[in-house]
Amino acid sequence: MLKRTAALSLFLVVVLGVLAMAPVVGAQDATELSFWTFVPAHQTFWEDSAARWNEANPDRQITLNATTSEYQAMHDNLLAALLSGVGAPDLVDIEIAKFPTFMKGEIQLYDLTDVVAPYSDVLLQTRLAPYQKDGAQYGIDYHVGTFVMYYNKDVMDAAGVDIDSIRTWDDYVEAGKQVTADTNGDGEIDRWMTHIETADRFSALALQLMNGGGIYDADGNFILTSQENIDAVQFVKDMIYDSQIASLTPGTGNHDQAFYDAMVQGMFGSVWMPQWYMIRFSQLMTDLDGKILVRPMPVFEEGGYTSTMGGGTGTAITLQIAPEKLQLAMDFMAFTKLERDATIRIWTDLGFDPLRTDIYDDPALAAPLEYFGNESVFTTIKELQSNLAVEYLGPLYADAVDVLRSQTYYEIFANNADVATALQAAADQVEQAAQ
Amino acid sequence: MNRLTTFIYSRKAAPWVFLAPFLILFLVFKVFPVVLAVLMSFQKIQGINTGEFNGVANYEALASNVRFGVALRNTTLYTVGTLIVLIPIPLIIAVLLDSGRVVKATVFRTILFLPALTSLVVVGTVFRAVLNPTGLLNSAIEQVGAQPQRWLEVAELAIPSLILLAAWRWTGINIIYFSSGLVNISKEIYEAAAIDGANAFQMFWRITLPLLRPTTLFVVILTIIGGFQVFVEPYILYPGGQSPGDGGLSLAYLIYRTAFNSFNLGSAAAMGVVLALIIFILSLIQFRFFGAFQREG
Repeated sequence: MLKRTAALSLFLVVVLGVLAMAPVVGAQDATELSFWTFVPAHQTFWEDSAARWNEANPDRQITLNATTSEYQAMHDNLLAALLSGVGAPDLVDIEIAKFPTFMKGEIQLYDLTDVVAPYSDVLLQTRLAPYQKDGAQYGIDYHVGTFVMYYNKDVMDAAGVDIDSIRTWDDYVEAGKQVTADTNGDGEIDRWMTHIETADRFSALALQLMNGGGIYDADGNFILTSQENIDAVQFVKDMIYDSQIASLTPGTGNHDQAFYDAMVQGMFGSVWMPQWYMIRFSQLMTDLDGKILVRPMPVFEEGGYTSTMGGGTGTAITLQIAPEKLQLAMDFMAFTKLERDATIRIWTDLGFDPLRTDIYDDPALAAPLEYFGNESVFTTIKELQSNLAVEYLGPLYADAVDVLRSQTYYEIFANNADVATALQAAADQVEQAAQ
Repeated sequence: MNRLTTFIYSRKAAPWVFLAPFLILFLVFKVFPVVLAVLMSFQKIQGINTGEFNGVANYEALASNVRFGVALRNTTLYTVGTLIVLIPIPLIIAVLLDSGRVVKATVFRTILFLPALTSLVVVGTVFRAVLNPTGLLNSAIEQVGAQPQRWLEVAELAIPSLILLAAWRWTGINIIYFSSGLVNISKEIYEAAAIDGANAFQMFWRITLPLLRPTTLFVVILTIIGGFQVFVEPYILYPGGQSPGDGGLSLAYLIYRTAFNSFNLGSAAAMGVVLALIIFILSLIQFRFFGAFQREG
């Protein structure tokens, strides 16, 4: 008898405990929305937005269950969840190089064309393109990712180069010859104009796009072996083997600690990367505080493309969302990604260049930044967006990026392989893999 | 007793009841996926809800797939490398630790086993620092007057770097295997040999090695399987697992990329089947070579 009483009391304690731990549900019965991302800052951004949404919409409350996991794992889990038909979140961040994977077969994402439509006048249309398929919009990016040139002021000054006189790529190479030097006389060059990645895509792909190349064109043709691509990659290669103003990137990519160390030590005068790379400088290369100046990308010819876009993350809504939540999720997406106030926060909170062009003159964006020479960096970025080369995606994009990063660029830049042959080999491999 | 208890207590049913938890999990999570993978390898699956049987097209495509060739070569080199390093060295260390001539053998055993317990994220970070152009390894190389290398930036150095990492990670575990094998060798045999005038080397060569054969077979097969399935080492050593010039591209990593990055599940399944066949055939050869199929006595 005693045993039974004890068991019953234990049961009651457990039940009460579980009840006590359950979340207190608000008076309005907030709707739960789940969100996956691989960037902690994005999670914070969406949670802040949910708080503002709840203030503004007392009758449509949201409880946002946001989760950040590692890049590969998150995309793998998403793919597995969409394949199996259960377990996917309502809203999800999909990185640009992964996006085409989710565009294959029956697309498991909602068409967001109607979400974007009211804002189409103020959005940079060229940045919507990567996330479209057959005219439908499946993702909305955080930023444009405009490519800019980051100069180390100390290094350029020591070499006697006026960075504002560099306008074309030819100017850049000429200036590079002045910068590249063996400063301590040990017979080895210790100061380079720049460096070229051998296991990542930013160094070469930026020039490919600015030269009218890329992996896909606007009509969805696979153009990896186009003359524009060959010329651009050859131009980059010549920086290493002809004019010899560039070394190979220490650590093989611009996101490697070995590169950060070399950059901080003043080994390089410049590096071109998308605008979002600014936070890598301010957070990971703190010793360069005040020394990095952001300038426009050099152009191939006057009137040509002023810059291009690199990287990106599109937020999407999966088909697994409960139908009654769909409209709320779409409205919340617009509120977080497209409303004027929200896009200003993309710059102030996340440090990204937003897609919305009518805010480019807002004082919040024009404010000078101490780390970057106390200059108004956004003024430079704004100028560049007049004629951006667009990056188009297609079904073979992910494979192409994979092969370029892991084989082709290494063969060309590190092993001095012939550009046309190497690009042809890459294209053959990518096309063959898709058979 | 009702019918259920009669059934459970019956001599025929009881073993199955006890085995059921394992068997069910094994069938659902091992056998079923394997069968499914073999089926998928004969299909073209590129995207959600797509899939049509295309015969042996996936296997034919592998023959001309450049990256598959590279991955196969890398994986074979890596396996051979780990065999060269991870059999003799742990064996010798285990014999030394077992010989009773090492002071505080347990301490050494623990230290050597620690790498196996270390978090992989930590291992990746530390090894990237060690293999950095200005890292520990290059400092050591310069000390002995040799030329420092760009370990993580040159395709040809990827496999040596991976073998180094594997050697650090797995030596301790193989020592444990060999040590447990050594315990089973009777000390009397050594005593008898000593009386007959055998020296330490002769005892090692004539007694330890032959009597350790079952353990060695086990370790060799595990190393071969581990070598061909290598995935974690390149994944943690290179950002996202992408090594320069595909120098560290392994078969398992290529399968993963083909499935989850290219979303080409049929082709990935075909690679998986080929990998399984390679391991199966090599293991069979091993068993034959070591005479495991011969009847005792």
